[in-house]
Amino acid sequence: MSSDPRKFLSHNGMDRRDFLVQGSGLVSAALLAACDSRGPKSAGKLLKYAERKNLVVERKLFRHTSMDVVQAGAHDAGNKLPSYFIAPSVPVWDESARGKWALEVSGLVANPVRLTLEDLLKLPQVSNRVNHYCVEGWTAVETWTGVPFTELARLVRVDPQAQFVDFQSFDDDYHESWDIESAMHKQTVVAYGLDGKMLEPAHGAPARVYSPIKLGYKNTKYLTKIVFMPKMNGGYWSDQGYEWYGGT
Amino acid sequence: MVGSGLRIFNAYPAFARKGEMFCCYPFEHEAIPAWLTFGGWLGGARHWHFAMMWVLVVNGLVYLTFIYLHGEWRDLVPRKGDIRDSWQMVKFYTFKRKDHPHQGKHNALQKTTYFLLPAFGALAVVTGIAIWKPVSLAPLTAVFGGYVWARYWHFIAMLAIVILSVAHVFMVFAVDPYSITSMITGNYDPSLSPEARNARPFYHLFPRRAIATRSSSTETT
Repeated sequence: MSSDPRKFLSHNGMDRRDFLVQGSGLVSAALLAACDSRGPKSAGKLLKYAERKNLVVERKLFRHTSMDVVQAGAHDAGNKLPSYFIAPSVPVWDESARGKWALEVSGLVANPVRLTLEDLLKLPQVSNRVNHYCVEGWTAVETWTGVPFTELARLVRVDPQAQFVDFQSFDDDYHESWDIESAMHKQTVVAYGLDGKMLEPAHGAPARVYSPIKLGYKNTKYLTKIVFMPKMNGGYWSDQGYEWYGGT
Repeated sequence: MVGSGLRIFNAYPAFARKGEMFCCYPFEHEAIPAWLTFGGWLGGARHWHFAMMWVLVVNGLVYLTFIYLHGEWRDLVPRKGDIRDSWQMVKFYTFKRKDHPHQGKHNALQKTTYFLLPAFGALAVVTGIAIWKPVSLAPLTAVFGGYVWARYWHFIAMLAIVILSVAHVFMVFAVDPYSITSMITGNYDPSLSPEARNARPFYHLFPRRAIATRSSSTETT
């Protein structure tokens, strides 16, 4: 710009003051505008990028050997466990209209099966007293009884191509797909019992997937199908903007 | 980070496990005012939080590396007598003491603050990781007393950072605005130091002539 260094300096000196005054004005305006907002729309791409990168980190942090541990002295949530579903009223399987409930386990498997509740009860059973981690930030201790997911996977003989698992339900179109390693975690069960009783409709009867390795919204209730897939298949909340991984 | 964290907190503005009470937070189930939050909704705030956490971590690592390589960490590590000297600063600021205690690069109260800030920053990061991955990193979460307590310490760390930062910025303008120059350029005029001005918040903001001439005369002799 200017060849006279002194002119440049004084010009620069003026600028610094202007810069500070205008800069602080801009920053406070941005802060005010940002309050209770979703942030600039242009950041959407950056946030998506961060989520994709975080997904890689999170899958690396996952360990089959890391187990959820309930803290000594923690109380069971009991009837304080919130009931939650997306249908307008508690989804109940209507046998007269839809026939006997059965869980279909299919997709990339050698031996797809349909399992009634009686069939599930005959399979190896496990009871896990574990934490429930809700995306909202609360936790609840409960005992979930059911079939370890690994037993179901063994039963249907999963194709090595299957990298994801979709858990589908009869609670409208609610479903959530998982990475296969989280599904194969030792504490993942297809649960039909809660706190020593058969699961009630309020908490996902006849059966739901339950694992402390995933946040609550990933644990589909009112199961109808478990489908092994080569690709991820989104999910009810994942498609609305919550993280797809939702892992703990 | 604070705004999005508060928005996440507002999804369940309490610490108690379901079916339990929590001892140590007086505002259980009271939402944080919306204007203090950022992200618009829980999912949006989580995306911001989990993206910006990397900026916070990188920023913190650059800061720690820098003060380590430059040896400036020595100006911040706590030493014997810091608490006593900090108390003297409190006494001075509350008019219970007349003369400004020794200032140096940082006075004792500043030094304590500048040590605590990165310490609480580290606590925020580590407790954040603990509540991000309470199962995959269960041993870390256990260090903080489990998920509920780790979430609490995460909140406390945030509160400490906010309080110390606000106090810091307030004191810069109320006691030592001249330090802004030295923050940017590194130059420092001792005749303008809070000790030379005997400056309390909003007291002796401008250098006193007598002191200014005295210090300049001692320099020339």
